[in-house]
Amino acid sequence: MKTKDIQHLYRRIGFGILPVNLNKLSKKSKKVIINDLFITSKTVTPLKVDITEIKKILSGAVKMNSKLDSQTRSKIQKLDKQKQIELNVEWISRLTNSSEILREKMTLFWANHFVCKDSSITYIQNFSNTLRKHALGNFKDFVNAISKEAAMTKYLNTKQNKKQKPNENFARELMELFTLGVGHYSEEDIKESAKAFTGYSHNLQGQFVFKKHQHHEGEKTFFGKTGNFSGEDIIAIILEKKQCATYICEKIYRYFVNDTIDKKHVNAMADVFYKDYDIENLMRFLLLSDWFYNEEHLGSKIKSPIEFLVGLKTVVPIEFKNSKQLQYFQKLLGQTLLNPPNVAGWKGGKNWIDSNTIIWRLKLPSLLLNGAYISNVKKGNRDLEIERFKKKHGKRFKTSVNWKYFDSEFENVKINDFQSHLLACDITTEAKKHLETLEKVSKREYCIQLMSLPEYQMC
Amino acid sequence: MDRRKFLKQSSLASSLFMVPSFVRAFEKVASNKLGYKRLVIIQLSGGNDGLNTVIPFRNDLYYKERPTLGIAKKDVIKLNDEVGLNPSLKPLKRLYDKGYLSIINNVGYPNPIRSHFRSMDIWQTATDSDAYSQSGWIGRYLDNYGKHPYSAIEVDESLSLAMMGENLNAIATQNPKALYNLSKDPYFKKIHNHHNDVHLSEHNLGYLYKSMIAAESSAKYIFETSKTVSTTKEYPNNKFGKQMKTTAQFINSNLETKVFYTSLDGFDTHVNQLKKQNKLLSIYASCVEVFVQDLKDNNTFKDTLILTFSEFGRRVKQNASVGTDHGTANNVFVIGENLKKQGLYNNMAGLSDLDDNGDLKFEIDFRTIYATVLNKWLEADDNNVLNKSYNQLDFI
Repeated sequence: MKTKDIQHLYRRIGFGILPVNLNKLSKKSKKVIINDLFITSKTVTPLKVDITEIKKILSGAVKMNSKLDSQTRSKIQKLDKQKQIELNVEWISRLTNSSEILREKMTLFWANHFVCKDSSITYIQNFSNTLRKHALGNFKDFVNAISKEAAMTKYLNTKQNKKQKPNENFARELMELFTLGVGHYSEEDIKESAKAFTGYSHNLQGQFVFKKHQHHEGEKTFFGKTGNFSGEDIIAIILEKKQCATYICEKIYRYFVNDTIDKKHVNAMADVFYKDYDIENLMRFLLLSDWFYNEEHLGSKIKSPIEFLVGLKTVVPIEFKNSKQLQYFQKLLGQTLLNPPNVAGWKGGKNWIDSNTIIWRLKLPSLLLNGAYISNVKKGNRDLEIERFKKKHGKRFKTSVNWKYFDSEFENVKINDFQSHLLACDITTEAKKHLETLEKVSKREYCIQLMSLPEYQMC
Repeated sequence: MDRRKFLKQSSLASSLFMVPSFVRAFEKVASNKLGYKRLVIIQLSGGNDGLNTVIPFRNDLYYKERPTLGIAKKDVIKLNDEVGLNPSLKPLKRLYDKGYLSIINNVGYPNPIRSHFRSMDIWQTATDSDAYSQSGWIGRYLDNYGKHPYSAIEVDESLSLAMMGENLNAIATQNPKALYNLSKDPYFKKIHNHHNDVHLSEHNLGYLYKSMIAAESSAKYIFETSKTVSTTKEYPNNKFGKQMKTTAQFINSNLETKVFYTSLDGFDTHVNQLKKQNKLLSIYASCVEVFVQDLKDNNTFKDTLILTFSEFGRRVKQNASVGTDHGTANNVFVIGENLKKQGLYNNMAGLSDLDDNGDLKFEIDFRTIYATVLNKWLEADDNNVLNKSYNQLDFI
């Protein structure tokens, strides 16, 4: 497989690829490389932080058959908050280091499709792992699992959806955001399908509970069909619509291929997906198709904040010494994992970029890795003030940077070949001209220069 | 409808129906010289307890539902025979006495949500409670009427959803100098030295370069314009005081910014509410009073409108921890010099007609307030921004 295609593949299904690995893969065929991606992602490794303390309290309460008193509740709340930060940190570290890279990237995709948020670490951790488990599985099973997650029944109020007093929130978003898209159902369809999801609830530990006495037994008319439908029936009926396959494929296309939809290619994807709603088959078709590697897709997308951060960490490993700063970093760039703005999720694409985020994105590589310093010295010169500058400006983030790793990974890469490894698209003429006037002081300084270009924001 | 056409039509409409013709003639001349209208939004995050902010001290139900949380009649700052302010709001009472304050009671929206995130989301995006939007109401105002990112500034480190449009986002800064310094690395200047907008494509990379150039020039403009004035006023020494001070500096330096967004956090008072809320209200009121005086000294208050809201009010009945739980309708404060309706805009709700949760039923949809501010103050087409038509109120 051509190195340029491998790089593109890895920028989309992961967070980039380093020279040593790239070199290894370039000897393999496309088929083998892609097959290997699915093999390494066969396993599912749940993401977990230690929540035994909370579990103990909860199971104690269940045994006593008592409600939690306010003191215990506030203790749990405090633990929840702290553990959510831990889970966020663990997730980012997982993205950087996992061998199940395709599964993890898909999980990230689904997290912005089945958008959910919950203050309970127990429920949101379960939710996150349900995303992981089904990320490459069957879409019907996936939707059903999501509909029964404690965090989701809370987030979209299925819990409050009772036969006496239906709550339509979940039914509406199920169709509008999760399966069909706006305009492919009527208000009546929402009302009727909401009845089918009455009784969906959960217990204190976050397991699904079906409350039969709250469930609406009786006929519902949904998309022209009439019957005593359950929630599962409703999902099955929705998936009978080709529109569902098309809607999901459009989203996958925008995420993995290009912001601008190519109808022909999306339709081809939908044909594959509609057959059995097997996500793995769909992804295999996508990654094996020739058009996935078309010139116009290479380096055409703007990285999400998480892609930007994890990509950077892949090249030069950094650790935040203070996990609060890692949260702060995500907030500054507009994407904090586990904390989406609302159920519509992050819009992505150009919407990642505003005046503040672009300034931070350009400055962060130097701030994190190089004491805020970007070398700007003319050919044949040296900047004697570097150390003084770094001491003065480089204190914003407390990180430990593993440059040695970078050195060894790039040891056999000529400095003139750096661009193709670090940038996904061509450099604009002006920027190129300026770079050519500058001294390539060292591989490290040159790496910072390239990462400080707007071009580095592309993938 | 384009802006000019809209302005023509709306001024025509209002003048035809409401003002005698000689005034209309005057208005036509004056409208160009009226000064630059600005809106300052203050978000009280966490759900401020409206009932202990504006207090129905003659209502027995109030004391019955809040035996240890109700503010004693003798401590209430009375506005009339029925209604008074929390004792921590003395500075606000002084603004009230000058006719600068309008209190709108029972503001909310249909099918209220009691989750902080979601309810704040609704207030910021101005959607119905069963709809979701990825742009905010000020953001959509920018889409239609903004020219630059600094047409709206959030005085904070990053942007709220309220400030994000479909095509144009506001800019966030609480420290113009720091933002400017961050943006002006000589390396950045050089890589786009000769770029002009003509060369930059609409593709994503072109968009990044454009954003970079706009961000740099915005940061520079905000810093260099705002540093020309410095206030002599003494603001309370806290984060909110700093925000208001920076906002005043922005306004008084004549920054071409239409909307400023600030916030004060900590109103989620489930436990031991009294001390906590009193402190926050005191911070709020004292900062706002200095802010108003600062603007007055610079002759900018007459063109500034200050809107204060919180994502929801709190339950009428106090809880077991001498606090209150999440509720629904709440009061909104409008502060400005030439208010049409000063003081209490409408009556407080009686406390007997509550919903199933024991919460107040709303009377005024918050989006009618937005529509009024957009239309009458910012001279914008509120339909365009709110994607729906709402009644206008007459507080301004």
